[in-house]
Amino acid sequence: MKMEWIKAPLGRRKFLQGSTALGAASLMPMGFLHQAWAQDSNTLRVRTYGDAPNMDPAHSVGVVEEEIHASIYNKLIQYKPGREWDWQLDAAEMIEQVDPTHIKFALRNDIGFTNGHGAMTAEDVKFSFERIISDATESPNKPDMGPLSHVEVTGEREGTIVLNEPFAPLWSIALPYITGNIVSKSATEAAGGRIGSDPVAESGPYVRASWSPKEKTVLKRNPNWQGDKPAWDNIEIYPIDDENTAEIAFDAGELDLTRVSLGSVQRYRENVPDGGRLLENPSLYYVWLGMNLDHPKLQNKKLRQAIQHAVDVPTLLEAAYFGAAEPSTGIIAPGLAGNRSANLIAAEANMEKARALLAESGETNVVIALDTLNKTTYTTMAQVIQSMLAQIGITLEINVLESGAFWSSGENEDLQLVLNRFSMAPDPSYATAWFTTEQAGIWNWERFRNEEFDEIHAMAAKETDIKKRDAMYKRAQDLMEESGAYRFITHEATPIVHSSRVVPSLRPDGLSLLRYFGKA
Amino acid sequence: MITYTIRRLALAALILFVAVTAMFLMIRAVPGDPVKIMLGPRATPELQASLTAALGLDQPIWKQLMIFYSKMMQGDLGVDVFSGRSVTHIVMQQLPYTLELIFASIIWSALLGVIFGAYAAANPNTLWDRMIAFISVSFIAAPAFVIALLSLLVFAVQLRWFPAIGVGEGFWSRVHHVALPAFAIGLSWVGYIARLVRASMLEVLGEHHIRTARAFGLSERRIIMVYALRIAILPVITVIGVGMGFLLSAAVFAEIVFARPGLGKLVIDSITTRNYPVVMGAVLVSTGLFVLSTAISDIVNAWLDPRSRQSL
Repeated sequence: MKMEWIKAPLGRRKFLQGSTALGAASLMPMGFLHQAWAQDSNTLRVRTYGDAPNMDPAHSVGVVEEEIHASIYNKLIQYKPGREWDWQLDAAEMIEQVDPTHIKFALRNDIGFTNGHGAMTAEDVKFSFERIISDATESPNKPDMGPLSHVEVTGEREGTIVLNEPFAPLWSIALPYITGNIVSKSATEAAGGRIGSDPVAESGPYVRASWSPKEKTVLKRNPNWQGDKPAWDNIEIYPIDDENTAEIAFDAGELDLTRVSLGSVQRYRENVPDGGRLLENPSLYYVWLGMNLDHPKLQNKKLRQAIQHAVDVPTLLEAAYFGAAEPSTGIIAPGLAGNRSANLIAAEANMEKARALLAESGETNVVIALDTLNKTTYTTMAQVIQSMLAQIGITLEINVLESGAFWSSGENEDLQLVLNRFSMAPDPSYATAWFTTEQAGIWNWERFRNEEFDEIHAMAAKETDIKKRDAMYKRAQDLMEESGAYRFITHEATPIVHSSRVVPSLRPDGLSLLRYFGKA
Repeated sequence: MITYTIRRLALAALILFVAVTAMFLMIRAVPGDPVKIMLGPRATPELQASLTAALGLDQPIWKQLMIFYSKMMQGDLGVDVFSGRSVTHIVMQQLPYTLELIFASIIWSALLGVIFGAYAAANPNTLWDRMIAFISVSFIAAPAFVIALLSLLVFAVQLRWFPAIGVGEGFWSRVHHVALPAFAIGLSWVGYIARLVRASMLEVLGEHHIRTARAFGLSERRIIMVYALRIAILPVITVIGVGMGFLLSAAVFAEIVFARPGLGKLVIDSITTRNYPVVMGAVLVSTGLFVLSTAISDIVNAWLDPRSRQSL
């Protein structure tokens, strides 16, 4: 018998032929498929960092849903795109503050709801605003409406917003943001009082055409929209949590706009693919190093001040933000009332002073713990702080926590130092709200308690004189810093890249106002 | 065979029960108040109390577990806290994307792995055999996330042959979208399967019935394709069953890197937001999938090779 089994039954040639055939078969449809996902000239493709399962503004959990709500609903006023915080008329053709607690408005006569729910009326405005403050709605956004009492309907399209007391954030948060969205009374009531994951009636320049959970939301032009025609026929919104993935998708030409990581800013400064542009917007976020005033290890004010002076903010920013973020002067970002021109303690470290303060404190062999989020930016900062404190003889232990555990740290009485970052709406009251005595152990993790601060927070929200308001919030931040519990670090930045075919319309903090996006 | 099948399915049910119970307890042991995380900072204490009661979180854990199982037996996995949608619906919406990814990975890796393994076994100690061994070990050693990123940079960014994100619409578009993630998570399996098939095939090729077949003058192609490969491929079936579990976990990162919807991403997002009902629904289904696939592979194996029935 001829033993030829070691000769390849699948000969080399056949093997290669087979592999080639398989490869060719897999590539055959590529040309046609390539066209299937190639950019459509009428479709804008943008990235957001999370999915938007909720179409009810009363239950919206933040900016991700608001990007969609702002396109499919109308408000009396909307944020004006640009570099300065300002608003412009939207559904209102007139709005006027007639006295500190009364705001008159008149609606445009060309806005209607889809699905046969008729023209937008003052009744819809009354319903939309009052349901936010109603206990029955259980809206987590109720505080944004502040001291809203009710809305008086004075005509089919006219009404008056009535407040229990003056409320400055009405113009910066309540009306142009989440709670300002006007929903159809008849459609919402027909849905049982709560809108779910599908909108029941839309009125904006776009309607939601489809939602594929965790994949994308598609908006298309509202055929009944009578206002200025939006530039794009369709908008595809992709929920992509990971910034690196979003950057790859942008570089591959599959996204027209995305926020990018601060670590990639330098790369995009040098070159944005396909003739795109990098926009570097400031941000409203605020990042700080906090110290728990209730913790036995941090009772000594001199020790806290030593820590404040030992932290070199520019070095932190260089290490963690690659120089793309500026030092902050408090919790209130530039462009808002109350933004300070400088900190009480310079951003640069003063090691001599820090050592002197530590010596004055009488504390020796200090070992303290710092809690932080498990994101590279914060763990990097934590390590740099660790080395800075080591220079003055303080040993720092770092606890890295995942987001769920980290955001529950308020109740952790053993919390010592914390590297923290809060989001913000464009009004200073939104920032100070978390540091009142009432919030101690909830969101005021430093347990900072100061009667003057509490009073400023309460009074400044009612103050309509911008200069007085500005001075009040500046004083509030001075009090925070004087307590020794805070070392303000940065407001971060919002770097955004966009393709050459898009003219983005962004809020001053870089968030997209999709309905105003143009074509290049 | 029937007794074996019943026993194997009973074991699968027991494993599922233990795994789901463990997950139920573990998610509650993780620090972080789910209600606060779900509702965000603006929620009033009244609203927090209301949601706590609605989720049954004010009950003792054993009671929460009882309620979960009693509802599960009625096919009710609860509702998503954020959207109010049925968890069953949410999970079933995501499941096809994960299955699509896993099956695409298994199919291409098994196909290529078997071809490589069979070819290497048919040509032992030749240059081709060594090359295939080298390639197989390289595939096994290459971390899937590195492959994913490299393949994205080369095939999506540089060449723009494949899409970087999403799942596509329509059959061909979906195939096109699944190609890169399936390539990334299936590559190491090509290596495993190739090595497994080669070893198994060499063993089979040395057995008496193969020698008899040769003595009867059957062609080498027929011997390998019909008589040897059919037996040599048996371990692959078992490995694929277990591989489902590994591919499920690999799918998690593939879904994140390629921005695809799917069970893995659903679980991660839900754990981060402490959305307990969705976590449990997704874990139940993914664990069920794993347990079922290993059970099926064991049963098929037992059917093909009666000796393995004695192991249970």
